Amino acid sequence: MNPEVHIPGWEWYYVATYFFIGGVAAGAYFIGTLAELFGGERHREISSTGFYIAFPLILLTPPLLIADLGRPERFWHLFFRAKGGFPFLNFQSPLSVGSWALLLFGAMAFLSFLDNLVSEGKLQSAHFAKAYSRIPRKWYAVVGSIAGFFVAGYTGVLLNVTARPIWAATDPLVGALFIASGASTGAAAIYLAMSWRKKLAYPGLPGFERFESLSKIIELILVVGVVVLAGRYAAPLMRGTIAVMFWGGTVLLGILIPLAAGWYIPRSAERRTSLANLATVMAILVLLGGALLRITLLQAGQVQ
Amino acid sequence: MPKGMFVDTSICTGCKACQVACKEWNALPHEPGHFRYNPVEKRPIAVNFTGNSYDNTGAMSATDWRQVRFIEQFSEDRSRARWLFSSDSCKHCNDAGCLNACPTGAIVRTDLGNVFIRQDVCIGCKYCIPSCPFGVISLSEVTGTVYKCTLCNDRIHNGLGTACAKACPTGSISFGEVAELRNAADKRLAQLKGLGYGEANIYGYKEAGGLNVFYLFLDRPQVYGQPEAVVVPQQRLPVSSAVTIAGALALGGAALVSFRERGSRENDEEVKK
Repeated sequence: MNPEVHIPGWEWYYVATYFFIGGVAAGAYFIGTLAELFGGERHREISSTGFYIAFPLILLTPPLLIADLGRPERFWHLFFRAKGGFPFLNFQSPLSVGSWALLLFGAMAFLSFLDNLVSEGKLQSAHFAKAYSRIPRKWYAVVGSIAGFFVAGYTGVLLNVTARPIWAATDPLVGALFIASGASTGAAAIYLAMSWRKKLAYPGLPGFERFESLSKIIELILVVGVVVLAGRYAAPLMRGTIAVMFWGGTVLLGILIPLAAGWYIPRSAERRTSLANLATVMAILVLLGGALLRITLLQAGQVQ
Repeated sequence: MPKGMFVDTSICTGCKACQVACKEWNALPHEPGHFRYNPVEKRPIAVNFTGNSYDNTGAMSATDWRQVRFIEQFSEDRSRARWLFSSDSCKHCNDAGCLNACPTGAIVRTDLGNVFIRQDVCIGCKYCIPSCPFGVISLSEVTGTVYKCTLCNDRIHNGLGTACAKACPTGSISFGEVAELRNAADKRLAQLKGLGYGEANIYGYKEAGGLNVFYLFLDRPQVYGQPEAVVVPQQRLPVSSAVTIAGALALGGAALVSFRERGSRENDEEVKK
């Protein structure tokens, strides 16, 4: 690996923010779909919350991506050939496939969002109501969750499939790590939204909390794997602000402490109510950790 | 038939004529000056020197498509010295990381085998920059697009050689058909080996699918700032994707055991009650 490989110069406040928000949206969406597929009506609350937050969040991301381009007005070249107007897709480029996946995911997230509004009676139209029963909602939820996994994970593959030393050295784990982080931050976002909507007292919560813990355990294993793989190229993660943000923010505050709290917060319904504030703080920490994970891994590859 | 260049560094004198010719033909803007007037001391002070021998660019950039590298070598007791030069540029790889990474089709390979950036198509996503294993391609803050050596695309499609090769006073850079250049390179290598240059080697036959611009080095490629085990990033894409899919399946599995198992057990409990 050649340390002379140039730095792309992606601004963290555009690109890492996109990695994070895209991950939360995608995570919330696939958790929503999986909860509905595997858990059925019991987990309807989780899936509807997931669908409610996925679409507005993913709507925030294209402006971030376009703003980081050198020629923002040409962003449509990602989808159509500049000459001829035929659709363009480069299967070797995660950035190209990811752009299409983001578009597909956005469309599915929009449909699920609309579906939610209709099923909860917040959007009523006689024409629409007639067509509504014929919409294959499970089908597009499945397509959307696959696109969601893609959106959460491709950003990691995108970093791995470069020649920058730390990104190349951590190949092939960052994609999986970002999916795990998408799951844990997506779950945290769902939890916060549910507590805001005062929908926490529902029977499926223990299963949801178990998923939260499992996703954090998978994330922790992958974080360790990434650091081990990085080896001597891990130096940027070991010094200065990036080290504090990575080890203190992502690992300690974002994974270890919420994981410990997940064991501590008892399962019985009464005591959970008294610990609701703690759980809220933990969800915020998980989100913070997820954001710092993207920022640190992006910036670690962009220091000399 | 692919065209390319053979850079025989053993006869390079580090004169930088190639660097200047490149700048002139491609109308690349000048670099910041090396002296600046200091109003306090009332005299010019030296700035923008790399401090690395006679290297004045330090790297390739959007406005420096050619970099002449200077390597100063000394023996332990500093009684013997060797000064190595190498004129470096885009290698026009047959398996080009930048071209593979481009999400818009802005980077293309022409019929003569050179890798060319279409300036009117590039959106400045910057993904090609870390995808080049050699640190060639760079963003211009002025145009918001990326630039690198075009192998003088306009000249070679009109029957001329590259500007750098044309300007080279020692014949260190030669332009032509890659197959013919390889023959010449092999002969020169054999000659140098016969003269006792045991470390001499050709760089660019196997790297990145074969480099259309390749080099004869007198020392290991690493000494000249070139990676020795070149991995075109996209070669890792299948494994990287597979592991990521495995990660997605692991999360799916976690969701399965959490949402289904848990649910059914609670169902049982509710039934018992």
